[in-house]
Amino acid sequence: MHLKVGNKFGDRLILAAVIALAIAWIAPLVWVFALSFKPDEFLAQRTDVMLSPPFTLKNYLNILGTSQVFGWTINSLIVACTQTLATLLLASLAGYGFARTEFRGKNVLFFIVLAGLAVPEQAIIVPLHAMFADLQMHNTYSALVLPRLALPFGVFLMTQYFKAIPKDIEEAAMLDNASRLKIFFRVILPLSIPAQATLGIFTFLNAWNDYLWPLVSASNPEMYTLTLGLASTQTNFAQSEGLGFLMAQAVFASLPVFIVYLFFQKYIVAAVSGKTVR
Amino acid sequence: MTGINLRGIDKRYGSVDVINNFELQINPGEFLVFLGPSGCGKSTLMRMIAGLEEVSAGEIHVAGRDVTHLAPGARDIAMVFQHYALYPHMTVYDNMAFGLRNVGVPRDEIDRRVQEAARMLELVPLLERKPVEMSGGQRQRVAIGRAVVKEPLAFLFDEPLSNLDAALRGRTRIELARLHQRLKTTMIFVTHDQVEAMTLATRIVVMNAGRIEQLGRPMEIYHRPATRFVAGFIGSPAMNFLDVDRIEAPNGFVAVRLPDGTTVQTSVPAAGLPTQSKLTLGVRPEALSIGAAEESDVLVGNAEVVERLGDQTFAHIALRNGELVIVQAGADSTISVGDLVGVRLDHSAVHLFDQSGIAYHAQARSVA
Ligand SMILES: Nc1ncnc2c1ncn2[C@@H]1O[C@H](COP(=O)(O)OP(=O)(O)OP(=O)(O)O)[C@@H](O)[C@H]1O
Ligand SMILES: [Mg+2]
Repeated sequence: MHLKVGNKFGDRLILAAVIALAIAWIAPLVWVFALSFKPDEFLAQRTDVMLSPPFTLKNYLNILGTSQVFGWTINSLIVACTQTLATLLLASLAGYGFARTEFRGKNVLFFIVLAGLAVPEQAIIVPLHAMFADLQMHNTYSALVLPRLALPFGVFLMTQYFKAIPKDIEEAAMLDNASRLKIFFRVILPLSIPAQATLGIFTFLNAWNDYLWPLVSASNPEMYTLTLGLASTQTNFAQSEGLGFLMAQAVFASLPVFIVYLFFQKYIVAAVSGKTVR
Repeated sequence: MTGINLRGIDKRYGSVDVINNFELQINPGEFLVFLGPSGCGKSTLMRMIAGLEEVSAGEIHVAGRDVTHLAPGARDIAMVFQHYALYPHMTVYDNMAFGLRNVGVPRDEIDRRVQEAARMLELVPLLERKPVEMSGGQRQRVAIGRAVVKEPLAFLFDEPLSNLDAALRGRTRIELARLHQRLKTTMIFVTHDQVEAMTLATRIVVMNAGRIEQLGRPMEIYHRPATRFVAGFIGSPAMNFLDVDRIEAPNGFVAVRLPDGTTVQTSVPAAGLPTQSKLTLGVRPEALSIGAAEESDVLVGNAEVVERLGDQTFAHIALRNGELVIVQAGADSTISVGDLVGVRLDHSAVHLFDQSGIAYHAQARSVA
């Protein structure tokens, strides 16, 4: 952001506003985190506590004690990782095709891809369900992963990114005797790492947090993803009891996301602010 | 046949004819410069030789081999791009080695060639740097190095100096000349800078609208431009052009009358000139000199602008009919703006152009 020099008061005001917003945003998360270390019985009486005792690890032990949690975590990891890798590969290849090759019907095809951006998920979930039911593919990893691979956003992002890479770099590689595939993997892909990281993070987070499609597709608890599994352990609707356990589940489920964030912070910031990291 | 041979090259983009029936024999070891205004097709021609662009018709032969339909990498030609086109994610060393690795040159041979090129181009301390960590001039040297290590049959340069500042451009130009003397490999160089063309070329191809206007050694092109286009394009400041009428002269040479009535007896032989009476007289600033307005046979006018460059002075003289001519006066010329002066004309150094732009010169004098 560009701030005028010498406008100190204005700077402070903006800073104060930003800090206030950040506190308002982070407070519930801290609260969740604090509650996850409280005994359930205590929380049945009052929840307006944060840092004062009593503390307990029982809620976390209970999660580990729920036999299926590890299975669900593995499921989530398998689904999110495959989905991310496959999306990166497909979106890159398609984007490269759109950006750098000429073929009949290219514009129409690209328009169809873009049109896909405008279709809301809820609109296709019923037909998707019917299709996978017909194929008898529900309760498989393929069912959890495949529908999410048709990601117009990724194709669009990579197309734009590849278009921005100077053509003469590729031409230099052609004169350097590199084949199309070699150019793609040795020159273009390394140059698109910032875009790959952005797309990868978004895809991973989306996949990890996905709830609707797993809810529709996975009916067998063995095939639950973590979001689905944890939700299924909620015993009562208003959650008047077992609150600490619920909070611990929330914290547990967001750990991988947190870790991803720690590692890719600079790419996420860049992606959200619309800049690229070099 | 060795060298590079372009036979009847056509290039069309859709219905637009960019290059038309282009014929050129480039000799081995030659430093050939394509010179021409923007958009005349220089890059297109270069890219067709490199294989980055298909020809619409015609054939390209390199060292006797028909390469017209070969992939760029298979033509044994290296190209240096205007914007360097280095691989941003690779070190200088890898930038140079990439092409060699792709064709399976043994490791120590790669290392030998890269080190040698690095020494020649003063890149040794930079070998582990990435392109972003270098100046424009250094990047340009890496781009040249990447071409050199391939030991190609020919080098192509597409305006390689145009991104450098004036001082660096001058230095790099000299380095290129040295490189050519050292490697003795064919070099083809595209520019629209006539100084680069004049200083580097063994031969210059002056292009206009996809055609060759003239092909010749630099001094030949300077002293005996084939067309009015070439005459106006080469030389700075540009040649002066005046519309003239041909008049009868009994001695076998052409005499002309200028718009203000002055007659000029040229040394251009009358034989061979078309009989039309409207001609254009061309004369370079250095073939004009400043005299007194009262002298006979001078063009009279007022000095409008006087440019003093230190070693020489250019006076822009407005003639009586309003036309401007540029005169190269001596460094110590005392002419100042507003002076009424006479412009003398070296009759042996004038050129005549007919209405189609074809040039007629004074009797051949030896050119370097
Ligand atoms: N891909 C293309 N499609 C259509 N026309 C093109 C294409 N590439 C070049 N042209 C046209 O071909 C002509 C020659 O272009 P070229 O790039 O060879 O010019 P140039 O002599 O290199 O000019 P400059 O000195 O500006 O680099 C131009 O008129 C240009 O508009
Ligand atoms: Mg060009």
